[in-house]
Amino acid sequence: MTGNDIVDINVAAAESNWKRKGFLQKIFTPQEQQYISNAALPDDMVWKLWTMKESAYKVYTRQHGGRFFAPLKFSCTVMTEKTGIVEYGHDHYQTDTISAKKYIYSIASLKGFTNTKLLSYCFYLPQMEYTKQQQFIYEKIVAGYNAITGVKKEDPAIVKDKNGIPFLHCSNNVRVPISITHHGNFAAFTIN
Amino acid sequence: MTKEELIDKLKGIVKPYVKNEEGFNNLNENTDFLNDLKINSANLVDVILDIETEFDIIIDNVSMEKMLTVKAAMEIINTKLAEK
Repeated sequence: MTGNDIVDINVAAAESNWKRKGFLQKIFTPQEQQYISNAALPDDMVWKLWTMKESAYKVYTRQHGGRFFAPLKFSCTVMTEKTGIVEYGHDHYQTDTISAKKYIYSIASLKGFTNTKLLSYCFYLPQMEYTKQQQFIYEKIVAGYNAITGVKKEDPAIVKDKNGIPFLHCSNNVRVPISITHHGNFAAFTIN
Repeated sequence: MTKEELIDKLKGIVKPYVKNEEGFNNLNENTDFLNDLKINSANLVDVILDIETEFDIIIDNVSMEKMLTVKAAMEIINTKLAEK
């Protein structure tokens, strides 16, 4: 079980002012605020922690269902430059973060469950209208799925459950959990 | 404040963050900020901060958890205004 989240750094800089009054306090714990103020690149740290929280939230809702907005309750501990732990109540998630020049991408999974994901793929998303972007992402996911399964002709549909959690619905009635994220010019998915 | 006035105020607040114009044009009580308006979840924090400023209220963390729809936002704003 995995969840993922991506932030386009340029878009985030243009559309989010995390320095505005009250912003950090609403979503980051005192320890996380400390990470940000101590960071050589505070912007990168803000979005790294944000993607850690969001990706862990996606695993949580996959496990337990429901929808809510409680970023402050997903408490991050940075372990190494790439890895971290996110705690929510009694649940612990491990995260892997890629900090690239133009994007920051995190994948979370339940702590202790390694290698559950079959594929994680991050790609450039051209600017176009929303439905076309959705189609573009869909085609990438199907191509990815076909590549790992070796199936050539299948076109699995993306279906969402009542909580908006996506699955790939395959012809043999198998539901494969996927996690999808996009922001600005970047998108990514995991197939579990 | 009437329901319509409150919805109008909310419309003005969310407008800068909306990514789906169609959802915005059809905005009503049942509109979901993330699913229907495609507001980025990081910008949901801005929406909440803007609501706090506009109505001079404080949205605590418990209320913030529910701030996913226009309806929830209206209920929270009305509750906080009544507490003032």
